[in-house]
Amino acid sequence: MNAHDKVNILMVDDQPAKLLSYEAILGELGENLIKALSGREALEILLKTDVAVVLMDVSMPEMDGFEMAEIIRQHPRFQKTAIIFISAVHLTELDRLKGYQRGAVDYISVPVVPEVLRAKVSVFAELHRKRRELEALNRDLEARVLERTEELQESETQFRTLANSIPQLAWMANPAGDVFWYNQRWYDYTGTTLEEVQGSGWHKLHHPEHVTRVLQGLEHSWRTGASWEDTFPLRRHDGEYCWFLSRAVPISDSHGKITRWFGTCTDISRQMAAEEALRKNERLAAMGRVAGIIAHEINNPLEAITNAFYLLESHPSLDEEARALARMASEELARISHITRQSLSFYRESQQAVPVSVATVLDDVLELQARHFRISGVELDKAYKSNRMILAYPAELKQVFLNLVGNALQAMPAGGKLRVTVRETSERGQLPRGIRVSVCDTGSGISPQDAKRLFEPFFTTKSVKGTGLGLWISKGIVQKYDGTIKFRSLKLTGGSATCFCVFIPGAMAVQPPGTLAMAKVM
Amino acid sequence: MAEAVAIILCVDDEPNSLILRKLVLQKAGYEVVTASSAAQALDLLGSQKVDLVLSDQLMPGQTGTQLAQQIKTNWPKLPVILISGVNEIPPDASFADLFMSKVEGPQAMCQKISDVLKAR
Repeated sequence: MNAHDKVNILMVDDQPAKLLSYEAILGELGENLIKALSGREALEILLKTDVAVVLMDVSMPEMDGFEMAEIIRQHPRFQKTAIIFISAVHLTELDRLKGYQRGAVDYISVPVVPEVLRAKVSVFAELHRKRRELEALNRDLEARVLERTEELQESETQFRTLANSIPQLAWMANPAGDVFWYNQRWYDYTGTTLEEVQGSGWHKLHHPEHVTRVLQGLEHSWRTGASWEDTFPLRRHDGEYCWFLSRAVPISDSHGKITRWFGTCTDISRQMAAEEALRKNERLAAMGRVAGIIAHEINNPLEAITNAFYLLESHPSLDEEARALARMASEELARISHITRQSLSFYRESQQAVPVSVATVLDDVLELQARHFRISGVELDKAYKSNRMILAYPAELKQVFLNLVGNALQAMPAGGKLRVTVRETSERGQLPRGIRVSVCDTGSGISPQDAKRLFEPFFTTKSVKGTGLGLWISKGIVQKYDGTIKFRSLKLTGGSATCFCVFIPGAMAVQPPGTLAMAKVM
Repeated sequence: MAEAVAIILCVDDEPNSLILRKLVLQKAGYEVVTASSAAQALDLLGSQKVDLVLSDQLMPGQTGTQLAQQIKTNWPKLPVILISGVNEIPPDASFADLFMSKVEGPQAMCQKISDVLKAR
């Protein structure tokens, strides 16, 4: 509907001549003129047609103008339809007219002055046209609002789906920084509910050492509108902390006013662990290089001295006492040689894995620790139930077992019992079969808190002596063989029992005697 | 002695080590000639009969393994034993008949030399 559409004007009179005269008067308005000869006919037309103005003679047979107006008004659709009565003015009729004052009602007295009729009809026609325009505009607006609402709902649904599908934890806060929404992943990770963590309830999930800095950073952003980024540990539902990289950006309306903050937390604990492991590996590689250099620098003079004393032992110019001294020196030098070969050789001593007897490696380790057994008064109980060989690098196995035996001995400073067992087995009854070595002590035991971190690098319970690398390296070595390293520590009456179990798959079918001796070149 | 005494060419850049090793070998009954570098050892081999070469691995100039490779090229049947202070076996160690550590002691060294000579 636009401003130039014609509107319908319904003229009602029982006298056709009068209708014709109205038609002549109103013709120049350029609207649609509809004629009705009775109230009934007029009603029928009203029901079918959108009428702007009804021009009606008051005195008609059958149904007079007032009666008809009454009926028209009862219908909700016509309550606003303008009605102009044409009548000789009587006082009584004027009173009745007042009853309609609320609606769009007017009257014209006879004789009809054409200009007056045209003016009045024209006003109502225009009013109707405007109303129709407004109604159309309104409908259009309503449709658009509906459409927009649907769009928003769709967009909201998409947002929720997206927010719940991303691997990050996500949240939204109002401009003052009160969090009012988290995605599902947040709740899954933290094990909290919105009630617990909305507003500033999330503070308690932060690590005490970091929360102050995190808050300062965020408050700075709330204040300045600058986006925020930080890295911090966040407590998981089980109480463990994982590291997250967190970012928050302000979301602004079309006027640039911040309406909310949107934040994400990305779990970076794996990257951090990988970086850490890389650093440790580099440190270890450096340590290995240093060990190699030291070995070389010690071994060269060591050989010369050993040879010198060897020659002195039987030198004809020396008396028996001097030769005895040379022999003692030789014995002690042999101990140094043994140590440098054992401790400065934590590297791959051959290019390829060779058949290794686990029992032999264990015996080497136990021999190396023999002095400690004596000093601590630890009783050794060996139970080798397999003499099978595995393909391995002997120095690596030696390092693992030296670590386990060394730890066990350190846990028993006041004596105890160490049981070393070797048996063929399979992991959870599955192939491949392999060798299981257990090292069990009756020492101080492992507390549940320590147990969690035992295989972490630089974790040590020995305040001074330990590097904290032993078990971490051991685990790395065992994993290289697709094996496992596990432990159990039980509190018993009068002490505790701690057992480390190393499983290495792939036992060889036979034990070829002497193979190891040939492969071992040092 | 019915058989001629075996001649061992001993190679090392460190004079003390070289002299002491030579004395140990002489004590074990071998005749010993010495060289302080791989180049000198190769020169000597061209002019002198040798039954076995016992060489240090890490030396300025050519290493023991490089020396072993050249020896095996020119005298394929001449046994070479490398003796090293480092704990890592070099990748080209296979040119030598045996690779051993310096700290195994004089008796072990003599035993290994004897084994290699017998296997010749």
